[in-house]
Amino acid sequence: MSRRFTRRGEGLLVRLSDPERELLRQLPDELREAYESDDPDDDVHTRLFPRAYLDPTEENAEREWQDLVHPELLRERLDALARIVGALDATEGGSRGAHDVALAPDDVPALLGVLNDARLALGTQLGVSEESDLAALDPDDPATYRFAVYAWLTELEGELIDTLLGDMPD
Amino acid sequence: MPLLAAPMAPTEAPVEAPIEEPIEIGDPGTDDVVVTDRPWIVIVWNDPVNLMSYVVYVFQKLFGYSREKATRLMHQVHYEGKAAVSAGNREKAEADVARLHAHGLWATMERPG
Repeated sequence: MSRRFTRRGEGLLVRLSDPERELLRQLPDELREAYESDDPDDDVHTRLFPRAYLDPTEENAEREWQDLVHPELLRERLDALARIVGALDATEGGSRGAHDVALAPDDVPALLGVLNDARLALGTQLGVSEESDLAALDPDDPATYRFAVYAWLTELEGELIDTLLGDMPD
Repeated sequence: MPLLAAPMAPTEAPVEAPIEEPIEIGDPGTDDVVVTDRPWIVIVWNDPVNLMSYVVYVFQKLFGYSREKATRLMHQVHYEGKAAVSAGNREKAEADVARLHAHGLWATMERPG
């Protein structure tokens, strides 16, 4: 178990400070825009909804596959956003500036998906690479705030994954 | 945006993708004809964002792999740039790719020549 996540029945409680909860609450609107983008040059959209076939001779199969699965992939993602908005907005005011946000069992994979997609979106926009050194950022660089958000999302998602891996068989 | 990982000697043999058995069509009076439907393989590519622990979690969740096998595949993705994570006919591969995309992994499918 992590510092932030604790079991509650089949679901989880996640302890968030007020600013953390505010930050999380902004993600769904930003992600919804990325999900629904129809700009073929939108790198974030392309990363979230990639091709299945690399082989250009399979273009027909690619189109059929996209027609078949894209509506479902989009609907699942939009459902996850709605779940997270619901869970965050249902949270009562906590004490000392912190809240325990209750996650029903179905909210847990929704939160994991939202955190991961938010990192994919930010990582794509920021050009994150495996060599990116978050500690070397210039505090005056406007991108620094976004890198800090990315780092925070990484920490939160990592704790959630560690919690979930504890339920997986060895 | 694939990031090919730093070159590193592979420590594992390539993933043993489940290969479908050839379908034997017996026709009395002629020699048996063996029709082999070459399987499609599903490739997961390395990317700089997905966490290693997340990739292990997704492989276990989607494919029911053991922690050990999921970790081995994740290492292959990370250090070699890609790994074949499942195989089957076109429909199965398309379904697996869709589930991997739903989880934010960068997956494609191909049929080795």
